[in-house]
Amino acid sequence: MSVKPKIGIIACSGENEIGGTLSRAAARIVVEKLRPDNTVILCQPLFMAGGLERHGGQEERDFAKTHPTITIEGCQEECAKIAVSNYSGPPAATIHVQEIMEKYPELQPESKRELGVAGMKLAKKIAEKIAQKVDELYNI
Amino acid sequence: MSDEKVYILPCSGIGKVFGSIGREAAYIVVDELAKDKTKLECLPLVVKGKKEIIETLKANKVIVIDGCPMRCSYNDITEAVGKVDAQFMSTDIVKERRDLKPEKQIIPMGENAKKLSLILAEKIASKVNELLEENRGGDE
Ligand code: SF4
Ligand code: SF4
Repeated sequence: MSVKPKIGIIACSGENEIGGTLSRAAARIVVEKLRPDNTVILCQPLFMAGGLERHGGQEERDFAKTHPTITIEGCQEECAKIAVSNYSGPPAATIHVQEIMEKYPELQPESKRELGVAGMKLAKKIAEKIAQKVDELYNI
Repeated sequence: MSDEKVYILPCSGIGKVFGSIGREAAYIVVDELAKDKTKLECLPLVVKGKKEIIETLKANKVIVIDGCPMRCSYNDITEAVGKVDAQFMSTDIVKERRDLKPEKQIIPMGENAKKLSLILAEKIASKVNELLEENRGGDE
């Protein structure tokens, strides 16, 4: 095979947790800046069961069935991983935002609405971890 | 009932700025305009099928905000909860206010995108009052 498939990045993107905001920001940094040629972003809610004829999520689910995916979880609920596993198969890797937050206690985000300077630095650290996973998957 | 809340569920769109406008509007409503009357919830938790959240949404008024015609939040909530009490689309505001062309940039959002979020938030906040009024009317 000459061209390697792109990796789908699915951030939980939860609105009610700071981890959700960080997952979203980190996913965008990976797809826009760190690994733009190797990754695509997928919206997590498109994985919901049922109503696909109205909803139009089949393309995302099919993509995730035929490409490796990395899910990014804002908390222990692991919403992205569970949705992807249910509808497309297990992700190739899962990144837990909270584990990285614990490693950098000095980087405290301002709020879930506005990450602020320290929060964006933390998002960058998370993004670097995701990019590292992308590279690992590419080198298999 | 003083602890009565209207639940706000923006879609988790991260691909384009329209999802971000919806989410920012949700934060403005919940943090500022209708602070004690509303609550945010993670849409992916509903997508995942978290029972407690689904039961809470069934028992309360729910407003969904979507960032594109896929209407993930509307479709997912209708599917899981069986009803939606009001729905908004950030793209409608963009069409209404063509003088405020939203910047593509998401992190941080541009000035026009922020203004559009506020306009959308004002509409949502007024809907919150209407829905709570309806509830009170129903209790009599
Ligand atoms: S994993 Fe946690 S933060 Fe992310 S959507 Fe689920 S509940 Fe929200
Ligand atoms: S409604 Fe559109 S922007 Fe929002 S999560 Fe769905 S596909 Fe993404």
